[in-house]
Amino acid sequence: MIAIRDVSKAYAGPRERSVLTAISLELARGEYVAIMGESGVGKSTLLNLVAGLDRPDAGAIVVDGVEVTALDDDALTALRRARMGFVFQAFHVLPYLSVAQNVALPLALLGVAAGEAQTRVGAMLDAVGLADRAASMPRELSGGELQRVAIARALVHRPAVVLADEPTGNLDPESAAQILALLAATIRAHGATGILVTHSHAAAATADRILTLTRSGLREETRR
Amino acid sequence: MSAARITPWGAVTGGALRANGGRLVLSVAAIALGVALGYAVQLINQAAVNELSAGLATVAGDADLEVRGPRAGFDESLFPAVAARPEVALASPVVEVDAKLAGDRGELALLGIDVFRAGPIQPGLVGEGEDGLDVLRPDAIFLSVAAADALGVKRGDRVGVLAGLEPVELRVAGLLSARTPGRLGVMDIAAVQDRFGRVGRITRIDLRLRPGTDVAAFRAALQAELPPGLVVARPEASLRAATSLSRAYRVNLNVLALVALFTGGLLVFSTQALAVVRRRTQLALLRVLGVKRRALAVTLVGEGAAIGAAGAALGLVAGYALAAAAVSIFGSDLGAGYFRGVTPRLGVEPGSAAAFFLLGVAAAVLGSLAPALEAARAQPGPALKAGDEQRALARLATPWPGLALWAAGLAASFLPPVRGLPLFGYAAIACLLVGTIVLMPRVAHAALSAAPRPRAVPGALALDQLRGAPGQASVSLAAIVAAVSLMVSMAIMVASFRQSVDDWLDRVLPADLYVRASMTTDTAFLSPADLERLAAIPGVRRSEPLRAQRILLAADRAGVALLAKPVDPADPARQLPLVGAFVVPKPGDPPPAWVTEPMVDLYGYRIGERIELPIAGRMAPFVVAGVWRDYARQQGAVMIQREVFVALTGDANANAVALWLDPGASPDAVSRAVAAAVPGGGNLEIATPGEIRDISLSVFDRTFAVTYALEAAAVLIGLVGLSSSFSALVLARRREFGVLRHLGMTRRQIGAMLAVEGFAVSAVGLAVGLAIGWLISLVLIHVVNRQSFHWGMELHVPWAGLAALGAVLLALATLTALASGRQAMGADVVRAVKEDW
Amino acid sequence: MGMRSVLSPVFCPLSSEPRRAFLAAALALLAPLARAREVAYPAVRPRELVFPRDHGSHPEYRTEWWYVTGWVRDDRGNDFGIQVTFFRNRPGVAEESASAFAPRELLFAHAALADPRHGRLRHDQRARRAGFGLAQAAQGTTDVRIDDWWLRLEGDVYRTSIAARDFSLALSFRPTQPILLQGERGYSRKGPDPAQASYYYSRPHLAVEGTLGADGRTVRVTGKAWLDHEWSSEVLSADAAGWDWVGVNLADGGALMAFRIRARSGETLWAGGTLREAGGRVRALAPGDVAFRPARHWRSPRTGVEYPVAFALRAGTLDLVLEPLIDDQELDSRASVGTVYWEGAVRALAAGREVGRGYLELSGYWRPLRI
Repeated sequence: MIAIRDVSKAYAGPRERSVLTAISLELARGEYVAIMGESGVGKSTLLNLVAGLDRPDAGAIVVDGVEVTALDDDALTALRRARMGFVFQAFHVLPYLSVAQNVALPLALLGVAAGEAQTRVGAMLDAVGLADRAASMPRELSGGELQRVAIARALVHRPAVVLADEPTGNLDPESAAQILALLAATIRAHGATGILVTHSHAAAATADRILTLTRSGLREETRR
Repeated sequence: MSAARITPWGAVTGGALRANGGRLVLSVAAIALGVALGYAVQLINQAAVNELSAGLATVAGDADLEVRGPRAGFDESLFPAVAARPEVALASPVVEVDAKLAGDRGELALLGIDVFRAGPIQPGLVGEGEDGLDVLRPDAIFLSVAAADALGVKRGDRVGVLAGLEPVELRVAGLLSARTPGRLGVMDIAAVQDRFGRVGRITRIDLRLRPGTDVAAFRAALQAELPPGLVVARPEASLRAATSLSRAYRVNLNVLALVALFTGGLLVFSTQALAVVRRRTQLALLRVLGVKRRALAVTLVGEGAAIGAAGAALGLVAGYALAAAAVSIFGSDLGAGYFRGVTPRLGVEPGSAAAFFLLGVAAAVLGSLAPALEAARAQPGPALKAGDEQRALARLATPWPGLALWAAGLAASFLPPVRGLPLFGYAAIACLLVGTIVLMPRVAHAALSAAPRPRAVPGALALDQLRGAPGQASVSLAAIVAAVSLMVSMAIMVASFRQSVDDWLDRVLPADLYVRASMTTDTAFLSPADLERLAAIPGVRRSEPLRAQRILLAADRAGVALLAKPVDPADPARQLPLVGAFVVPKPGDPPPAWVTEPMVDLYGYRIGERIELPIAGRMAPFVVAGVWRDYARQQGAVMIQREVFVALTGDANANAVALWLDPGASPDAVSRAVAAAVPGGGNLEIATPGEIRDISLSVFDRTFAVTYALEAAAVLIGLVGLSSSFSALVLARRREFGVLRHLGMTRRQIGAMLAVEGFAVSAVGLAVGLAIGWLISLVLIHVVNRQSFHWGMELHVPWAGLAALGAVLLALATLTALASGRQAMGADVVRAVKEDW
Repeated sequence: MGMRSVLSPVFCPLSSEPRRAFLAAALALLAPLARAREVAYPAVRPRELVFPRDHGSHPEYRTEWWYVTGWVRDDRGNDFGIQVTFFRNRPGVAEESASAFAPRELLFAHAALADPRHGRLRHDQRARRAGFGLAQAAQGTTDVRIDDWWLRLEGDVYRTSIAARDFSLALSFRPTQPILLQGERGYSRKGPDPAQASYYYSRPHLAVEGTLGADGRTVRVTGKAWLDHEWSSEVLSADAAGWDWVGVNLADGGALMAFRIRARSGETLWAGGTLREAGGRVRALAPGDVAFRPARHWRSPRTGVEYPVAFALRAGTLDLVLEPLIDDQELDSRASVGTVYWEGAVRALAAGREVGRGYLELSGYWRPLRI
């Protein structure tokens, strides 16, 4: 489903910093992996490369049979819109849209008809336990609730790939556990392939596989 | 830098300066521009008024009192009567004539003085010559330095001054003291009387009273004995009268300059408001770390003050330069024609400089006050959380202050002038404008909620964003509304004025040819014999002489024009641009007088009322038979029938003649015949109505040139504020764009979203600005203008111009939004989602 | 005597407040000299003076003055010198004007008070064009006025009223002797050219009575004065630098007037005078009969000008020493008339004993008079 082949990335600057060097990783459809590693080791960069939000210096990335690295910006955008969902550490729920509108946003971008969109948003909110908060504005929600909204938004359009970058970094342990469970359950329920970037062993433990990213490359930690 | 030296100021401001350098520069520039305009206008006005008052002070000297009357003067027998009074230490008689120079060399204020009596009171009027007797010789004239420079003459040269239409040759015997300002000439009083037809008449007596005299009591006693039409007053009254005409104009310019400063303050507000929003989490962190509310607020207001101080300092320098440039290009009245013959010298005016510096700082401080207080008031906890920005501006959405301001503004527009100034009119405009700006979040929300939600995602998101964050939008809206409403109101007012002047010119120029000796001077005129010669010229069907005099109705007001021409009382509208109804005097009534609008405002004349006018030393009764419009004489004018004037004064001369020609007669040929028909005809000004109209309208446009310039500056600042606040907002939303990019929006879609936002905000701002601008224009026309200049005008809305203006503004705003978006859409928007601030 | 004629035209209308100084420069040159004569003034030729007509003004002549100087004493025995002068000038301009303000005739007045306790001269001056009844010099009898300053002959008595800046005078002058005609029965020569002459008579030994106000106090005074009335059209010769003049009421009832005109070189150009003895015999003094010998000089601390304030004077048979009442009787009128001169009360001594009191005038010591 996701194939990362010999990808390298360095950031230009006064002191060129090599972040990723010849990284390779293969993920099967429906697989949910956690990537751990020290700060600055390139976890988020790897995620951005997969999402087509950044380009590798070398190597290739294939997502759902499409070579991401060969696409132009518009095609990448279309790919993200249709095939990917994102969950961020800071939730990034748009403050001026209601919960339902936030969740409906990917569907709107894909041109899903309003009626169907409404049904799917309703089902999705149901799935994340926010059915009764559909009309609420984000500022009325707690952090855990906001991240549920984000998860709903990431999966409402049934993406092939879900990318989550420290989704519980801003949450208390209890909420974090609930969110991680929800994320894993939802990804699995949709049959999506997921990458979870995290510092937390507890978080990583909710994934199918755990990989550790170090300066020298990706290392398989355990296999469930 | 040691840790100990990190202050709230350094922590809050240092980073902001580095991050926001460009916008800060804009804020400083906006304040600088406002201060510069205000200071420049003040300097120019002050220079002109100083010059005028210095001129009057020289003429009045250190007299305790002065006796003044109509321009035609009064009987000189009053002089010995006043001089012999025991309270009078010294009486100095003066004959003042506004002289027209031969050879089209302009005008000269000519003073005839008794050097022996004027010397102690008005030393500045005593000339220095080689021959001491020249101060008495009838062929000698002493010129002020300004007059000599203007005429390009020096001692020993000759100048010709018109008496009637023929020149009297005078010898420049010397110059007045260099300290004597103004464009004037001084001769012996006998010479002026004798050579300019003033024998037996003087125009002024300056009095020095004996020490210990009760000036007020003596003034009252003397006033009671003076013939009608004369006043005895302190010299300051003359200055008030002389400056009263231009006062409203000067205040108008000052207000316009202050508007520029106001929009500058608005820009500081938007910059600071957005900066506070952007730094919200930083500021909250500082609060968490133990910085007190007060210290935070002081720091933020301090930023505003620093911006204001920098801008104001720059503005003072720029203002002086601007004033110097403006005076050299336009003259001290900035082209309005109020200060003829005045050559101003700019001073630095420390008082004004300090005032405008403080105003600049105050504008910036006020602009930063609301955001600072809001930032200090915020609870640090919620503020630390992302997504709390909207709350920062929520407080601005309270409707009551805005509604109260509106109510106050509407009420103020019905109040009368204060000491001749439309202060309440200005207050009304300020209230309406500020009230509207305060109400903008509500108005914007209502307007945007009413708008249909577009189907396309970018448009829908744009509208959602605007509806969801009216506070932020309203910062931009404030700038747009202020700029648009000011621009629209001025455009409507000026268009109305110009159209009204145009219509008025049509009505006051019915003849085919206008022949003028001089309307503004005393020495040039057409004699009855000249008039007969003109009427006899072949091709002339009818001629209508006009006599212009000036009478004094109040000590501290400028003289009123007394005009006389043949008018048919049964049909005065044929010869006068009447406003409203007129009455025909019944048999046995006094003769009719038709008065202009200022007479109604200033002297309370009502139609049908019996009035008395001091003419030729007597109170002559008249009936106010109608009110006519006159854009030429702001001080007011009274038209009476020529035969009545001649009967009262015995003066059958004329200042000008309107000629109606036979069909087929050539105006050119008649013009030439006119110049040849009368002795000294070469000194006549002859013009067709078209030429007069062109000159009048070009004078009008010149008068408003500075108005336009000030207005353009205000609008410019407003637009800069708009673009600045918009780009700040867009920058603040980089993270949001990053998220949207993640969610699969293309750059183009985000651009479109921003364009829609820009368009929608500007459309709302434009619509509100147009509406408020129209309202303000009504205040300008019916309150400010009427109370300042006392003339009425019809409302003319320049639709085409306003439409073009709206289109340009919309396009500009949309483009600004797009450009801001492009600037904000660098590759790092992706990384922005990772930023916590 | 008539030398003072040159002063009259240069007399400035203004008091000497410094801020008006620049004005003075203009009027200082009022002397109708720089330009060609604009009107024909009547020539001065010997004729019989007729009174009271000749007490009055002679407006057709260029200059004329009534000049009263005297010594008065208050009831405490304090001596004062007083001076009241009215000048009339016909500048010869605007003679054709129809205006009532036409400056055909100008009037000037000068008043001074010498008070030894004050130490220096108090003085004030006025100038006006004649007209409107405010300033006039009547014909037919002595009656000259400028606003509220006046000098007139009422019956047989002259009266004057002067309200000056820092003093006031209200005095009457009663003649005790007949009119003294100067020169050849009133025709007084001023130089070798017979055209340089004036009509000139004096009223010595006028009995003064009245009040004098200064320093906020008014005192009654009595004393003796001398009145000159002189009119002419001609002026001095071009090489004259100034003059010394004295008029003395002699204690024995006699009267002496003597003058000399000094050349720029310092020598005497012309001299003359009249001595009327107590018995009434009048002796005209020829140039050779008069000699002024400076006896003492005083330097003005203000102007630095040195004046011979004391003289040994030989006039005919008389040998007198002239001693001033106070040294500082200098009139610094640069701010007004553009000149500095000395005019003051003097005692006449013979053999160390006072034999008379009078007034001495010293002009042209600052700079040669501009003529």
